[in-house]
Amino acid sequence: MNRRPPIGPAVFVVAVAAVMLLPRFISDFRAQEFAYVGIYFIALLGLNVLTGYTGQISLGHGAFMLIGGYTTAILMSNEEPPLKLAGHLFTNDMRDIWTIPIAGLVAGIVGFLFGFPALRLTGLYLALATFAIAVAAPAVVKRFEHFSGGGGGIQLFDLETRTQSTSITDPVTFESKELGVEVFLGINIPSFNDWLYYLCWTIALVMFAGVWLLVRGRFGRSLRAVRDSELAAASSGVNLARYKTFAFGISAFYAGVAGSLLAIATTFVNPDTFPITLSIFLLVGVVVGGLGSLWPLVFGAIFIQFLPLWAQSISKSPGAPAVVYGVVLILVMLALPQGAAGLVRRIVALTTRGYDRVR
Amino acid sequence: MRSPRLALSLLLLAGAIAAGATASTSADPGITSKTILLGGTSPLSGTASAYASIARGADAYFKYVNSRGGVNGRTITYKYVDDAYNPVQTVQATRQLVEQEKVFAIFNALGTEHNAATRDYLNAARVPQLFVASGGTTFGRDYKKYPWTTIGFLPSYQAEGWIYGKYLARTKPGAKIAVLFQNDDYGKDLLAGLKQGIARSKVKIVAAEPYEVTAPDVQSQIAKLKASGGNVLALFATPRHAIQGYVFANRLAWRPLIVNNAVSSASNIMTLASEGNTNKSVENSISIVFLKDPTDAKWRNDAAIKLYRSVMSRYAKGANVKDVFHVYGMAVAYEMVKVLKAAGKNLTRVTVMTQMRHLNDASNPFLLPGIVVKTSATERFPIEQALLQRWSKGSWKSFGGLWGYRAG
Repeated sequence: MNRRPPIGPAVFVVAVAAVMLLPRFISDFRAQEFAYVGIYFIALLGLNVLTGYTGQISLGHGAFMLIGGYTTAILMSNEEPPLKLAGHLFTNDMRDIWTIPIAGLVAGIVGFLFGFPALRLTGLYLALATFAIAVAAPAVVKRFEHFSGGGGGIQLFDLETRTQSTSITDPVTFESKELGVEVFLGINIPSFNDWLYYLCWTIALVMFAGVWLLVRGRFGRSLRAVRDSELAAASSGVNLARYKTFAFGISAFYAGVAGSLLAIATTFVNPDTFPITLSIFLLVGVVVGGLGSLWPLVFGAIFIQFLPLWAQSISKSPGAPAVVYGVVLILVMLALPQGAAGLVRRIVALTTRGYDRVR
Repeated sequence: MRSPRLALSLLLLAGAIAAGATASTSADPGITSKTILLGGTSPLSGTASAYASIARGADAYFKYVNSRGGVNGRTITYKYVDDAYNPVQTVQATRQLVEQEKVFAIFNALGTEHNAATRDYLNAARVPQLFVASGGTTFGRDYKKYPWTTIGFLPSYQAEGWIYGKYLARTKPGAKIAVLFQNDDYGKDLLAGLKQGIARSKVKIVAAEPYEVTAPDVQSQIAKLKASGGNVLALFATPRHAIQGYVFANRLAWRPLIVNNAVSSASNIMTLASEGNTNKSVENSISIVFLKDPTDAKWRNDAAIKLYRSVMSRYAKGANVKDVFHVYGMAVAYEMVKVLKAAGKNLTRVTVMTQMRHLNDASNPFLLPGIVVKTSATERFPIEQALLQRWSKGSWKSFGGLWGYRAG
């Protein structure tokens, strides 16, 4: 295995700068859409640790996002009467951003525990088992209506404070002066959408760095060994059970954080917020981004966020958006069988001709 | 922890109403001297895409109105976007409509949870959320908390359930009802209404089985309901699962009287359920009706249905004219046009909301004769009347007089 050329850190710095400056060039609304891209990016990074590096297919990551999203929602909710379980165990009405690490941990622990039964399953059977959790999770959430809000979900948008203040405050003047502007890392954030954008992308970049550190060392090598041949890995002294369960746990942690951000961004959760199609989209995103790649996953995230919107702008006749989506997906897979990462690799190989890029 | 959240909340609001900042001084967003821009979400794809016809029907009617000069000199653009019946997409699409497209109002957006997900946002941003396409009782009941939200033309699900209950109590005193219901607010509202309707009568609910909207089928629920010994089966289910209800009841050779809720009783759905006339459990089904059904021979020469056909052929080419959801869309678009007209030349969000509280229209041509669209300051359900109808030999036949909902 060759060492990668030292362009990684430089690219990272450029990427950080680009991400931080982007909102200046796009509309407030687009910033919100790109915040969702950041959320999907986090989920894809996590799923890729499991699927791309460890070779374990998961069709159930929507369920881990659901766990993260509901953890945040229950902690944040200030519904009257308080959601029962939440009211007894936690102080709810918590500040949104502090719920994010908790949501990640809860999902991570569930994922870690799920890793144990998953040890007995491989390939298709594992895909089916994980698919089963994605299918079951919404029904389970509805079952515990007294603290999940049932099918109606949990509303995180604070109406009362809002309408009172708007009726007092002139919408023209309150915008910055009376309430103060949220300051985040020394940057003035003028709107919720920008705030959301910076929140999601700051976390995404930190978590990106986390995965990058994780997969480049011994740990990552062991994960890849598990993926390539379990028998060979075990005979080289890699503890299969440990690495697989850890990969599940880390992956679910990322999904939990993404789910938590999804809840904050949408200001609402209900079981339909995390449908089965979400799990499938995530897998599609990883494949489009490139299995076993890291930053090209951004393209996977962009694909998840924008393709369905774009597909329906082509035609609104019945069924047409789904057909457009499917056709584009097939074309992408035909043209780029290794995803965006494959394309990037080919371009790099062309420009640095002669450099051996075998991975 | 209140103040940071308050700040956050208001920041969101700031973004949301940046467009509405000039509300008090001049025209609201989405209004020019020549145009009115309405927005809405609809499941153009996904599990509930059967309901996309509602938005298409409304859109066709607006185009027809535009071709005749529009409303007070303004033409209406109705921008409806897909949310795939997923609240996350509903929220995003609604924000896009409000913040980027700068719509005047959200109109006829579909789905109970979906409208609930955007309701707080729209009320904070003071964007009217008009004629919500859901019978969720909350949309008509909680107007004090959500003054910018109004319910659409479905009798509330609770009222619908109540009508079935009253009818059974009156005509089938020994009825034992087995209920299949969708496990969300819509299904539960219907069930609650049914219970209210049979209160103090001899009719009993012997079993009630929920199903998830994502469930592939309802076979096991139907088997359990059959085992409960019921002689009436209430299908409080959306089209796909309602059809399955008929199919599985038939396969189990169970022949109860079937009560099918209005959201699944369109004739094309009933025809599918009858499996090419091999499924006899469809015969004699009961449902409510408040729209003119384009497949009903009774309306063949009716002026409104003639208009409906010509509007569909001109502005919704290729759509299935038999689909009664198109008529729903037109009925609600007709009322919207009437409201916009009444709000006058100086159209604002506030004047529209005032009109929404004072609907009194006995002449909506797409509704059954006798139905009065009516709201007041304290009563926000525009339609609380319906006829009962019975499915017989391939079409619905209405019977009896109008049923008006009385709570309690």
